[in-house]
Amino acid sequence: MPAFKAPAPGFSVRFSPFHEHRLLAAASQHFGLVGNGHLLVLDLSAPAGAGAAAPPLFAFPTSDALFDCAWSESHESLCAAASGDGSVRLFDVALPPAQNPVRLLREHAREVHGVDWNPVRRDAFLSASWDDTLKLWSPDRPASVRTFRGHDYCVYAAVWSARHPDVFASASGDRTARVWDVREPAPTLVIPAHDHEVLSLDWDKYDPSILATGSVDKSIRVWDVRSPRAPLAQLAGHGYAVKRVRFSPHRQGMLMSCSYDMTVCMWDYRKEDALLTRYGHHTEFVAGIDMSVLVEGLLASTGWDEMIYVWPFGSDPRAM
Amino acid sequence: MAGSNPPPKPWERAGTSSGPVLFKPPSGGSTSDIVEASGTAKPGEVVSAAECNVAPSINSTISRPVPPRPWQQQGHGNSYGGYGSSMYSSYGGFGGPSTGGLYGNNMYSSYGGGYGSMYGSSGMYGGSMYNSGMGGPYGGYGMGMGAYNQGPNSFGPPAPPPGFWMSFLRVMHGVVNFCGRVAFLFSQNTQAFHMFISALLQLCDRTGMLYGELARFVLRLLGIKTKQKKDGVQGAESSSLEGPGHHFADAPKGNSSWDSVWTDDAKRK
Repeated sequence: MPAFKAPAPGFSVRFSPFHEHRLLAAASQHFGLVGNGHLLVLDLSAPAGAGAAAPPLFAFPTSDALFDCAWSESHESLCAAASGDGSVRLFDVALPPAQNPVRLLREHAREVHGVDWNPVRRDAFLSASWDDTLKLWSPDRPASVRTFRGHDYCVYAAVWSARHPDVFASASGDRTARVWDVREPAPTLVIPAHDHEVLSLDWDKYDPSILATGSVDKSIRVWDVRSPRAPLAQLAGHGYAVKRVRFSPHRQGMLMSCSYDMTVCMWDYRKEDALLTRYGHHTEFVAGIDMSVLVEGLLASTGWDEMIYVWPFGSDPRAM
Repeated sequence: MAGSNPPPKPWERAGTSSGPVLFKPPSGGSTSDIVEASGTAKPGEVVSAAECNVAPSINSTISRPVPPRPWQQQGHGNSYGGYGSSMYSSYGGFGGPSTGGLYGNNMYSSYGGGYGSMYGSSGMYGGSMYNSGMGGPYGGYGMGMGAYNQGPNSFGPPAPPPGFWMSFLRVMHGVVNFCGRVAFLFSQNTQAFHMFISALLQLCDRTGMLYGELARFVLRLLGIKTKQKKDGVQGAESSSLEGPGHHFADAPKGNSSWDSVWTDDAKRK
């Protein structure tokens, strides 16, 4: 699997939950400040030409920056993208670009920075926005189902629990991570997680009460929502803000993180020496990472050097 | 949009060991229906821009007061701001005197002196143009770094939106910067064109001299030199060896050469 060249600095990558060779990527010109965005679907199985990767299966330029993207869990060609103009767009990558986006959901007042599809019930997705709110959407409804208010500052990420269909967590610039139940009016739990902004978080797929948060204070903390007073573990090793964290879908306790120090790190928070591997293959800030659900150990990363790397755990990304 | 289901997730195949303790057991039905049944649904609620960053009325299960924001603390935001402004602006200022001194005084002035008045103006070119020119681009770069820091959660928190005067002055800064750069490039192009044309003219001039010199040499080899000497080209020949620049200056000094040309001719007549 070769490295792919994105048309702009990459912001997010996601493996398809349906096809092991499909990768969704969001990229934005000028580092997301101004300019166009690009949504790409890459075919990892396509044979690489002489020195050049195969063209993307689907490429859609948008009028504003794209910060995040997520595959639908209920439809193999549907995906959602978070846009810098405050809209959430649904794309059907099986349709030609002229018929896309299939839905344009415009309710947020400011940039939408995160989207996540419910992996358990598969009929809803969340958007996290810089207007301090989160919204719950259903792909068959033209408007949001519900708005979650409570954060005091930009919400950077929202992640559904991998086990519980009604529970999700959000990371915000107000230094807290909050756990929500869609049936409750207020957050179930507020974790004052870091001393600086919390940029990302993820649930452990094997233990439904374990949560990891990544922050501007360069650290990753692992929390147990049953005893949120102190973190279970603190993973130090990044030199700058931690942009994204993601738990492995295959191995309990294993997580992947990327940072503004241009590295991607693999951790096992239950080990004494938690840092497993450090990848320095990007030459700019790393903004998006993912771990394949269908192929164990297959990793992907993208960064502001406009490269998208896909490699198996244990090998060198650039050697592929 | 019903559609298919993806393959089961690895953690689903592994099976649940312990159920979630903190949360109520999952409800049945679709997420939309569950939310509506719980009474918390507000379909299509549009968030207005005025609501941003305002403390919400609901909630506050936060057990402690919200600590000051990182960018309100001393030191954190300032260090990055200082990076953009002070370092690069001092760099721009540094570029001025050093390049000006190098180009203006030493290199180009000696160059200009050798070639007389036409290149004497190059001394001015090196001094003033390079000063402003080098300062300009680097100043612009420093400002670019400032804006760079305000990107989506790059190093620190995103800065609050700048006020009207701030943005206006920033725009004016950009305009002035732009004009400075355009003017600099324009003058550079003019200078380059001027030098190109003058070099071309000089080349023609010197080529003509070389031709004359070679022709004279060849003629001398052929043994026609005495006749040439009588015609009085000797003075020009000897002076031209000293250097091209002094040719015309020295030529009239030769007593035997040009003055005698007409006299010889007159004598012949």
